[in-house]
Amino acid sequence: MRGLRVAVPKGAIFEDALAALGAAGMPVGVLREDGRRLLYRAGGSEFIVSRASDVPVFVEHGAADVGICGKDVLDEQRPNVVELRDLGTGGCRMILAAPRPRVEEVRRSIEHAEVVRVATKFPNTARRYFEGMGRQAEIIELHGSIELAPLVGLADAIVDLTATGTTLQENDLVEMDGIASSTARLIANRGSYRLRHREVAALAEALERNGEPVG
Amino acid sequence: MREKTQRKFSTTPGTRDVLPPESTRLLDAQAKVLERFRMHGFREVVTPALEYSEVIEEPRLRDSAFKLFDRDNQMLLLRPEVTTPVARLVAQRLRNAPTPHKLSYSLPVYRRVGVGRGQSAEFRQAGVEVVGSANPGEDAGVIALLFDVLTSLGLRAPEDFSVVLGQAAFYKGYLRQVAPGASDDLLAALADKDLVRVDEISGSLPPEVAAGVRQVPRLVGPATDASVLERAESYAGTGGEAAAALENLRRILGHLEVAGCLDGVMLDFGLAGRHDYYTGAVYEVYASGLGFTVANGGRYDNLLRRFGQALPATGFAISLERLVSVLPEKAPAPLVVLVGADTGATRTAAELRASGVPVLHLADDLPESGAVRYARSVEAGWVGYPAPGGVKLASVEEGAEARILPLEGVAGEVLR
Repeated sequence: MRGLRVAVPKGAIFEDALAALGAAGMPVGVLREDGRRLLYRAGGSEFIVSRASDVPVFVEHGAADVGICGKDVLDEQRPNVVELRDLGTGGCRMILAAPRPRVEEVRRSIEHAEVVRVATKFPNTARRYFEGMGRQAEIIELHGSIELAPLVGLADAIVDLTATGTTLQENDLVEMDGIASSTARLIANRGSYRLRHREVAALAEALERNGEPVG
Repeated sequence: MREKTQRKFSTTPGTRDVLPPESTRLLDAQAKVLERFRMHGFREVVTPALEYSEVIEEPRLRDSAFKLFDRDNQMLLLRPEVTTPVARLVAQRLRNAPTPHKLSYSLPVYRRVGVGRGQSAEFRQAGVEVVGSANPGEDAGVIALLFDVLTSLGLRAPEDFSVVLGQAAFYKGYLRQVAPGASDDLLAALADKDLVRVDEISGSLPPEVAAGVRQVPRLVGPATDASVLERAESYAGTGGEAAAALENLRRILGHLEVAGCLDGVMLDFGLAGRHDYYTGAVYEVYASGLGFTVANGGRYDNLLRRFGQALPATGFAISLERLVSVLPEKAPAPLVVLVGADTGATRTAAELRASGVPVLHLADDLPESGAVRYARSVEAGWVGYPAPGGVKLASVEEGAEARILPLEGVAGEVLR
């Protein structure tokens, strides 16, 4: 029987994911050798590299047994997968932000339950946030450079992820509210979690949080 | 892409036309499933595709249902599942009949789906419900029936499929004993399959309790491995709900063992199914190579109360399309394409059918090359022409020679 197939996200948490998997004894060295390949095999295991937001799709459909992705992606997509482990890495926060000169205006609009135009890559998260407060928002979904939207009048505010706040500062955006915080998670396909429980549980056990075993 | 794709050529998103040979496989599987249901004494019911929206209560199912309005402006749903309509049927129509009611169905269900999520808006569910008995033998009985169905279709446990079995009342009862305050949050997290959240919540509990709260939903292992039950036992305590739930599970396993099903059962104390729906044994069937459940079911003792009859119940639903997708390939059924426009061909066709040979009669004088091409397109293995003294029969395989066989010899050749 083949080993586990692991979905690894490109981008910000790629290195953290590799470090965690490596520390758990998985042969991740091959993933560093050739950055353009999409599918790697090593020591019986397989690794696929995909966009972070696609990792839950591969795992939910069973195209990968397990995967690593941010809690922000799971909150947005609500995939039907088992969430096994908080890796504690890739920490970032989902925030509401607006351009500095307009912060007070946006705050007033929200208080008065007026409709605010919000640009975001996370439309479900944004909608739930505003509905949860009993406030109204017109959500505009974008796929990149969210910070641009309020600067050119496409939106009043943004809902986006921030790790250090640097991009916000560079674009003179101010955080108005924290919506959620996110770290990298180990997720598993529902079938793989049961049918290959020994391997999946062993991986979950081996993944450590900041050097400290959890659970 | 042309902007004006004509809708009249398309099926609606999430639906499709099913063509042979796939449709044949689907309907053959359905026939086999219903045959096994009957072998266990389950009788089929057919409920309407349209139900009043009040019939379905669960928010998730209501949201996903297609809605329409009748002439009195009542909201109707296309049934998104069959268990609730069957519960309505039992409570209203079978009130005076002796229990348990053992009913089965095979019906399409409808759910609105997002484009691009690979989901179907219409799919077939074949299932059974046992209403009016809380006996663990009935839980085991339907699980054994599920095994019977799957093995009859050529699947083997545990190589091809496994039944993952949990007991929803165990963790619930355990939490009520050790952490009643956190129990709702923990059960909601488990229904979301979010074990990280379970860990987080357990962090606020006293350490001697936290370990169990974390570990119980992670108890997974083959039913043949006694250590899984032993570990569960160590958390169960005595005399409480958790202990009763564990005893119930042991009895179910006892029945499954004598039914010869234990090898294919995987225990999972973290399996809870839909939030607040299942009240006892709960199970999901996974096939190797498929990321989704092929079937799922369990005990739902609270559903019938809504319809004025507080009857315990258990049952499962098989997703037929998913089941067919994991079945081993089967050779097409034997078929002879008999070619000929005159009455002699009609007579030959009738006589062949009378001898048990399936015959597709092409009432046309088609040359052999065309007939073979046609036969291959309908997955027929043979082409025949009426001939003096019988039928000139040829296999559609490349380079096969035609032979003249007497009529009564055709069955022996074709039905091998």
